[in-house]
Amino acid sequence: MSRLRSALSRTVAHPAFHLALVLALLLGCRWLSAGTVQILTFALIAIIFSQSINLLTGLAGQISLGHAGFFGIGAYCSGILAKTHGVDVALSVPLAALLAAAAGWLLSFPAGRVRDVYLAMMTLGFGMIFYEIVREWNDVTGGTMGFPGVPSAALHTLSILGVRIDAAAYFQVVLLVAALVLVLVRNLTQSRIGRAFFAIHVSEVAAGSIGIPAGATKQLAYTLSGALAGLAGGLYAHLVGYLGPESFALPRSIEVLVIAIVGGLGSIAGQVLSATVFTFLPERLQVFSEYQFIAYGVILTFSLVVLPRGIAGLLLDPPRFIKPRALRRAVALRPDPAVLRPEAAGGGDGGSLEVASVTMRFGGLVALDDVSLRVEPGRITALVGPNGSGKSTLVNVVSGLYRPSAGRITFEGRDITGLPDHRIAAARVVRTFQDPRLVPHFTVRENLLLGAHRLLRHTGAAAALALPSALEEEAQQLAAIEAVLALTNLTVVADRTISTLPYGTRRMAEVGRALLARPRAILLDEPAAGLSEAEMERLAQVIRDMKAMGLAILLIDHHMDFLADLVDDVVVLDSGRVIYRGGIAEMRRDPAVIAAYLGDEAATASEHAHA
Amino acid sequence: MDDFFFSLVLAGISVGSVYALIAIGLNLTFWTTRTLNFGQGSLMMLCAMLVVFLASQGLAMALAVIGGLLVVAALGVFVERFTIRPALVASGGSMGWVVSTLGFGIVLQGVAAKYFGSQAMAFPDVLFTTQDYVTVLGQHLSLQYLVVLALSVSLILLLELFVRKTVWGQAVFAISLDPELALVQGMPVRLIILGSFVASSLLAGVAGILSAQIGGTVDPAFGFDLVLFGFVAAVLGGMGCSVGALVGGLAVGLISKLVGGYISTAAEHAIAFALLMAMLALRPQGLLGRPEVSKA
Amino acid sequence: MARIGRRSFGALALAGAASGLSAPRIARGQGATIKFGFTAALTGPFNEFGEGIRRGAEIAVEEVNKAGGINGRRVELAEVLDDQLVPDRAVQNMRRILDNREIVGLMAPSGSGPTLAIVDMVQADGRPIINPQAQTPSIVYPNGADKPPRPNVFSISIDNTVEAAKLATALAGYRTVGILHESTGYGVTGAQLVRAELQAKRRDARLTVESYNQRAQDMTAQLVRVQRAGAEALLVIGLGADTAVIRRNMSRLNINIPLYGTAGAVTVPYIEGAGDLVVGTRAVNHAAFGRRPMHPAAQKFADLYRAKHGTDRWYGPDPANPFVSLAGTVASGYDCLNLLIDAVRRAGSTAPADIVKALNETRDFAGATIASITFTPQQHVALKVEDLGTYEMLKEGDRVVLKLRD
Repeated sequence: MSRLRSALSRTVAHPAFHLALVLALLLGCRWLSAGTVQILTFALIAIIFSQSINLLTGLAGQISLGHAGFFGIGAYCSGILAKTHGVDVALSVPLAALLAAAAGWLLSFPAGRVRDVYLAMMTLGFGMIFYEIVREWNDVTGGTMGFPGVPSAALHTLSILGVRIDAAAYFQVVLLVAALVLVLVRNLTQSRIGRAFFAIHVSEVAAGSIGIPAGATKQLAYTLSGALAGLAGGLYAHLVGYLGPESFALPRSIEVLVIAIVGGLGSIAGQVLSATVFTFLPERLQVFSEYQFIAYGVILTFSLVVLPRGIAGLLLDPPRFIKPRALRRAVALRPDPAVLRPEAAGGGDGGSLEVASVTMRFGGLVALDDVSLRVEPGRITALVGPNGSGKSTLVNVVSGLYRPSAGRITFEGRDITGLPDHRIAAARVVRTFQDPRLVPHFTVRENLLLGAHRLLRHTGAAAALALPSALEEEAQQLAAIEAVLALTNLTVVADRTISTLPYGTRRMAEVGRALLARPRAILLDEPAAGLSEAEMERLAQVIRDMKAMGLAILLIDHHMDFLADLVDDVVVLDSGRVIYRGGIAEMRRDPAVIAAYLGDEAATASEHAHA
Repeated sequence: MDDFFFSLVLAGISVGSVYALIAIGLNLTFWTTRTLNFGQGSLMMLCAMLVVFLASQGLAMALAVIGGLLVVAALGVFVERFTIRPALVASGGSMGWVVSTLGFGIVLQGVAAKYFGSQAMAFPDVLFTTQDYVTVLGQHLSLQYLVVLALSVSLILLLELFVRKTVWGQAVFAISLDPELALVQGMPVRLIILGSFVASSLLAGVAGILSAQIGGTVDPAFGFDLVLFGFVAAVLGGMGCSVGALVGGLAVGLISKLVGGYISTAAEHAIAFALLMAMLALRPQGLLGRPEVSKA
Repeated sequence: MARIGRRSFGALALAGAASGLSAPRIARGQGATIKFGFTAALTGPFNEFGEGIRRGAEIAVEEVNKAGGINGRRVELAEVLDDQLVPDRAVQNMRRILDNREIVGLMAPSGSGPTLAIVDMVQADGRPIINPQAQTPSIVYPNGADKPPRPNVFSISIDNTVEAAKLATALAGYRTVGILHESTGYGVTGAQLVRAELQAKRRDARLTVESYNQRAQDMTAQLVRVQRAGAEALLVIGLGADTAVIRRNMSRLNINIPLYGTAGAVTVPYIEGAGDLVVGTRAVNHAAFGRRPMHPAAQKFADLYRAKHGTDRWYGPDPANPFVSLAGTVASGYDCLNLLIDAVRRAGSTAPADIVKALNETRDFAGATIASITFTPQQHVALKVEDLGTYEMLKEGDRVVLKLRD
């Protein structure tokens, strides 16, 4: 099965296959019956529409139960422009996509504040409001009577740029548009934009920590998704020629979500298959005659039992998220160890991370109380303290997850207090997490490339078109990744997906990803937790290498043995206060530390020794 | 302060209590699994239709009601086992359950249309009739609605008592906070989740019966629209918050009736959804919910 | 030219399940059969009307075949497709039906939404189509009733315009009238037409118009607004179940003004859903099954239906008194097919233009729903005001009976 799947995946991914399919349909449609051509056009529109959901829900993880709203905005916009104002369809459809994109952008602001079920509810509300507006706005939309007479192929009233278009020609136009959309979406998925979508899908916090702004990324996802849905809607208007509010009600939102989920979220080919199946399904189900409606429901009910990962999961290998062309280019380049060399400028003296009198209160609870510390470049500072002493809170405050109640944080002389997390990453203060937060279905290499997201500066258009400049930039980062892979000992597992790897390997991958964000200060939150002896040694070596690179390193950990011969300075926190600052040897003798912390830590340490 | 106003207020409270009752049912499964059964409306419909059918076969009304409730309770088991569990297992965090529960709702609609017909069936008066009322401030307050309100309030009180005072309630609360931890601590998580779906389905059945007798008819498409307003009520009050469900339900009912009465009846529905979006944007945890603590 | 049908095309995942199971068809005398087709909501939660017209159409076809067909050629319902009231599916189904060049005549779907979605397409195609149920006037007269109709689109449904005229006559005795209409094309146009008719009848007429969404559970806001306007009577334009909700809501609010209803009110959902409260309600529907004796075509259809399906939920429990609504739900499908069959017979041809011409020359055709159907090139709606009856609901013993008032 898996061999069959790989063969099928290779075929489906092959450009020659795409070309052959498009050509066959392009030429063959003249021999098909009008009904077949029409239903194929419906299928193409469903494909574009499902890509819209795939982008938003499959990639960026934002569920939508109101996508019929965007679809409807596109349909009515193009329909009204073309019929009432005589705008050429070649212009009205792009304008429709643009209007729907604007609607998507606007929706992203309220929607960006909520997730999961709440987001489902909010988008449901959006769809319902659109539906009510269309029904009541009689003067513009025709209200419940609908909007007839839109120039369309079915009515022989359609012309594009002055050329009469019949149903088959319209199918050819839509086919080319759909093919273009698929190519662009595929390129986007395999670019910094698609990977950023997945990053915020999995963890907005982790994405922010490596400089991917959750808010702006979501806005982009909604805008692009709105544009695609609007495009599909515009094309739909000129297919059917009549727009009625019932065509844009909740069932259409549900239908496209069903297509996307059953197809396999995140897979482009899966969406294409699923959209085709579901467009033809009602007709196929005519054979069930009186049980047709029930049969449709049964298929939906058990789709997940039968196809847990959708059609794509059954038939195809999981998609990959780096353009093969970029990978091939990177092979030509040699591993680029520049990423591992100390930087000349900026990282020199005075480049320390300073926490000055930071206080953090949650309601009545004081988690950090007037904490000050300083992390010097080229030095490893350990932050220790019992559970609940505020270590992670401090990391969260420094990395921008919490805004401190009082105090200042500066890096390299610049005030970074209260900046959003991605801006702090851009200021080159990067963190890791207690539990590795990687994208589980990405390979190690893809996850590492996420770390370099901030350094990929090419535009979205360049990414969508996969311009050579964009690929070149990506290839350079891939070369840097080779060096980091070698350093972290991950070269052999570089192309395995994270979810298949053991815990220690994931930790290391996360450290590697942080390195690729080119930090000058790095905050490692318990990186050694759960590692084996060998893995711990490897980690210690990597941390020493980072020190040699001149990074300012803040290291949180419990293992005194691990810290002992690694760190330069120690800061001890207890109940949110700094109780000790200095060398690690002296710390063991400090009475305050012994009283507050070392007592139980020493006890556990000796237990470990006995075990 | 005239009759016009009071009529609208009483109507708002009345329909609001129906929304609240539905919202409570939705909350139950949200507590345990963070999922909602999109087929909830179909369960309401099926229960009401079964009551009509069983009663028409000569069964006493009480027995017909019990029969209908038994069937939907059994379907609750089915929902959990075949639509929710595979979806949650399949891919953590995906929203596949939206598809499977919707599909389940469609099957029920299809079956009902096939075997009972799609024409609206008259629903008998189970508790009180349309003409039974008490007089409040010179206005007739229908006893049929009052039953729903009383039931919603008492269910909320019972649920609060259950969660606060009983071991099982504590377990439900623990699962709502962290199911994995609850499992580790040896709680019968599976059983409690299953129980929540059965209870939620039973509530759907009760809501179906009580709301069908108010309108007087039930047909296969019955329920879906009501559940949408149940969603709005649940979100408005705060998902997972019992008292919030009541407050949310009443708020949706009152606001939509007042907007309908004073501004335009055409805006009655849109306003509820505008309210939903505004609430989510400004205060996602709802009127009475606690903000969700994000684990940074 | 070789054309690949969709059957062989959309194969993908379901091919295995679907192949070889296509619906059974009458295969005798292939070349000679005369084929008709339609799409309607045959399954799902809105199939009441679609299933009804299908039964009516089948009875018509069986009847004509038993009598030897059309000039010796058998008649067949060759394409009967299910759209579940979804406009897109209706469009896809209709395309497939139109693709079948052997289809010579069509029946429109059950409901205004799907019908409006397909009617432009059918007009462009040119083959004749008759509308059994959808009430929106623009299906036949897209540019207004004073402009020419679509050449190939005919209707025997209870047209909004005619219903509004009948309702206005019934309501003319009141100065202040409240109208509650469903927020659908039917409800919106219905309210506009009744308003226009009433204002034409009496200058001093005051109307207050409110809308509601289908299957809304509470209409208090609408009702108290109507009450505040001082309405002396209330007209509900909508489905029977919604009318029942409104009647019960009126009772709760203690609003006791006379209630008038449209065809939807003369149905089981209203009569049973509102229970005893229906007494006094007046509503407009086909007179065909309400007159005694019924006119011969109506009686014949009632007998044919009862012989085939018995006293089911369309016919009603009483063999002697079928539901008045049988005309709209089932008999209209029967009439549509009979009109097409009659036109083909008179035209002696199956060319679209010939059939349309013959339909335009239909004079006093005896239909089951409309006693005498006449079409002319300008007049494509068969229903006249006198074909409708105003029924008053009364209680006799513990049964509700409908009295035809005019």
